Amino acid sequence: MASVAAWLPFARAAAIGWVPIANNPLPPPPIAKERRRPDDEKLIVNVSGRRFETWRNTLEKYPDTLLGSNEREFFYDEETKEYFFDRDPDIFRHILNYYRTGKLHYPKHECLTSYDEELAFFGIVPDVIGDCCYEDYRDRKRENAERIMDDKLSENNEQNSQAAQDMRNTREKMWRAFENPHTSTAALVFYYVTGFFIAVSVMANVVETVPCTLGIAMPLAADGRLLSKNSESIPCGERYKIIFFCLDTACVMIFTAEYLLRLFAAPDRCKFMRSVMSIIDVVAILPYYIGLGISTENDDVSGAFVTLRVFRVFRIFKFSRHSQGLRILGYTLKSCASELGFLVFSLAMAIIIFATVMFYAEKNVDGTNFTSIPAAFWYTIVTMTTLGYGDMVPKTIAGKVVGGVCSLSGVLVIALPVPVIVSNFSRIYHQNQRADKRKAQKKARLARIRLAKATSGAAFLSKKRAVESRLLAQESGLGLDGDNGAGGGDDQHWLREEDIFELQHHHLLRCLEKATDREFIELENPFNGQPQSMQRSAGSRSTSPTLAGQGSLVSPAGNVRNKPQAGGRSSASSPLSPERLTRQQQQQHSAMCPCCLCWTCLPLHQRSSSTSAVASAAPPTVSQVNVVGSSSGAAQLSMDDMPGAPVAMDGPITQSFVPASGGSGSSSSSSSANVTIRRRHNETSSSSSSSPHQGVGQVQMLQQSASGATEGPLEFQISGGGQHQSQPVETRQTILHISAL
Amino acid sequence: MSKKTKEAQLEEDLDDVMFGKTTRHRPEELKSLEKSTKFTRKEIQLIYRGFKQECPNGVVDEQSFKEIFVQFFPQGDASQYAHYVFKTFKNGTSGTIKFEDFLQSLSQASRGTIQEKLRWIFGLYDLNGDGYISKAEMTSVAMAIFDMLGRHAAPAVDDQTASKHIDQIFHKIDANHDGLITFEELSQWCTREERFVKSLGMLDTVL
Repeated sequence: MASVAAWLPFARAAAIGWVPIANNPLPPPPIAKERRRPDDEKLIVNVSGRRFETWRNTLEKYPDTLLGSNEREFFYDEETKEYFFDRDPDIFRHILNYYRTGKLHYPKHECLTSYDEELAFFGIVPDVIGDCCYEDYRDRKRENAERIMDDKLSENNEQNSQAAQDMRNTREKMWRAFENPHTSTAALVFYYVTGFFIAVSVMANVVETVPCTLGIAMPLAADGRLLSKNSESIPCGERYKIIFFCLDTACVMIFTAEYLLRLFAAPDRCKFMRSVMSIIDVVAILPYYIGLGISTENDDVSGAFVTLRVFRVFRIFKFSRHSQGLRILGYTLKSCASELGFLVFSLAMAIIIFATVMFYAEKNVDGTNFTSIPAAFWYTIVTMTTLGYGDMVPKTIAGKVVGGVCSLSGVLVIALPVPVIVSNFSRIYHQNQRADKRKAQKKARLARIRLAKATSGAAFLSKKRAVESRLLAQESGLGLDGDNGAGGGDDQHWLREEDIFELQHHHLLRCLEKATDREFIELENPFNGQPQSMQRSAGSRSTSPTLAGQGSLVSPAGNVRNKPQAGGRSSASSPLSPERLTRQQQQQHSAMCPCCLCWTCLPLHQRSSSTSAVASAAPPTVSQVNVVGSSSGAAQLSMDDMPGAPVAMDGPITQSFVPASGGSGSSSSSSSANVTIRRRHNETSSSSSSSPHQGVGQVQMLQQSASGATEGPLEFQISGGGQHQSQPVETRQTILHISAL
Repeated sequence: MSKKTKEAQLEEDLDDVMFGKTTRHRPEELKSLEKSTKFTRKEIQLIYRGFKQECPNGVVDEQSFKEIFVQFFPQGDASQYAHYVFKTFKNGTSGTIKFEDFLQSLSQASRGTIQEKLRWIFGLYDLNGDGYISKAEMTSVAMAIFDMLGRHAAPAVDDQTASKHIDQIFHKIDANHDGLITFEELSQWCTREERFVKSLGMLDTVL
């Protein structure tokens, strides 16, 4: 309607013809004649640099689209007085033409998805695509949709199978093993074994009819019958009857077992029994059982018995489970059923016509082969398929003419439907190939994409560390050196280089960290091989999360007391958060702690550095305890004994702490509510200095008041000192890590 | 023989569809149009742009005209009325209308004097162009008008509505009761009341 708005004046003028027969006068017009509409103005639409100009009226023809409504004001650029869209200008051309001419066209060289996206952006429904382009659009859309559906289905299948793998019972597992032999080794073995036996069975069927030369003059069966009139050869099957029988039995046993297993495992037994493959299985094994029941004495029945053996050849169809090409062939034939039907029907018509004519042409010849019309059928078929055996030949001229016409028409009739079938097969086969290829490619592509994402995630973390270390360096530089100029200038300069977006993005992540009182750490393997990918929890007032979260590092050489000790090692917050530590420590730890690549090692470093300052560095007292928390709240403490860390231990050692929130930690000897840290070495207590900086100290772990208490700080004290001089390296080895729960 | 001509006709039609519409027409100069019609320059520009948008060839044939016209009356069938309107154009019988004729007609029907408008109306009703409107002619036009209403109107419209309606008023218009309406009788009828005269002016469009 909008496109013919320009003709409205004429339609209105033509309406004066109604006046003579009008019963009532016409109503006054809505717009007074004196009031004039503002003159039409031109709008400039800038799409990625290409400027399109059009009348305002043109765009407002379709008020339910982006350009025709107020929505376009969002894109108005005040400075250049134009509407700017950062979209594809080539496709925009078509969209603007839609406003101009009222017809939306679909360019065939454009990608369908990108076109759809542009349409969606500009608020145009794809249904308004003109008739000239609509079919093409629909076809391509359907292709795309099918492909996406296929991918999704296969993805879902995989996901389902992977996700539910642990929850399948035997029956489902078996069914999956049958359907997808590549899932497990057993399935693969089964697959190949059955394939082997199918092949053996078929070969046996074939070989047992081959004549074996025999030295015996008159071959006799066990019951004295004459086996063969010809004294020279009998089929191998007769000669080695027992062997073939055993072979047959074995194969049938295997097939029966397979069939029964499949029947048991099938999710829908009735449907399975009706499926083609199951029918083939049944037909393959049934003759054997029927043959067992029938004895070979009665001649009539033995004839039927022989017929039954023919059905054994159906075993070869069992190969279709093993070969995809066969399955596709079957599927193609099924989908081309109409073409095949047409072929058969037209052939039948032609055969009848030509046979009739041939019969009447040749019937009077002496000694002719064309004794009846059905007899002539054979000739017609042989001629139309251009076989030409020559066992039946026309002798009259008329017969020869008809025979010629018959062979020519046969070529034509058969050649017509064949390309359709061939193209169908080719299409389905290639589709299958493409689907498999796509699946394989997709895995590789996803892996690459994941890698790229991981590196970007790691980029954030490394950037963050760099930022923080730089900030700290500045701070410390400012504090220590009082050198404002250089530090400040560098800082600003560096900040400017940084991407604004990145800055804010990182700020966001940092806000998250602060809000949740956690920190992002990297997924890395510490040098002892255990992954520690936990986010350490900041200190809350809860107990073991506090401690655990604090990841308090206890050096046997250091006296680490939870609350009263190290500044910042309060339960309120993480003792290890950077701002709590002295600048010196932070400086020392500006790089990642190499042992476990996490912030929790901070005290370690400062301890180690300060340890070296202390003469009598304590030997490692406690072996390294790694606490690997799980999301369920259980804290696991395990102790690893590091080589080269002889320790002597004395002093009270309380070994249990209660994990908070009722989660039960477990160690090698824990009860449900206690966590025990076993000590292997004795530590000598040394100075009781409360400073965590001391190289020698005590680590004490005090028992919690009540098991399951979630309040109160957890005091962690491990007493011990070292008799031996230990290198910082060794102390490092004995640090007690308790990561977050 | 007829089969041949049918095939030939099909071929011609195909050719027409493929390469047809070769008639191109450029209208007169804007200035002369401005003089001969009652539209301002700007209005003529606007009308021409709309005209050319729908009919890029510069001429409109009856089929396209009908298609455009019926879009304004979605509920009913306006094709018959469109046909009668098309006939009022100067060269309506030739099958195509140029822009100038279109503009003339439009100017007459929407901006003309009362007399001009009545002339136009008379031309609309006088289907055979003999200068008289017979009852049958008027009934046909009335039927076309009622067709535009469509089925979904209240009170309901059926096939007899138009003839009944005309029956009621024909003898009123036909002053001398000779069964034919002349132009004078029509103008007499339409100007009998002030409000009807006013009605003629209601259908101008602000452009």
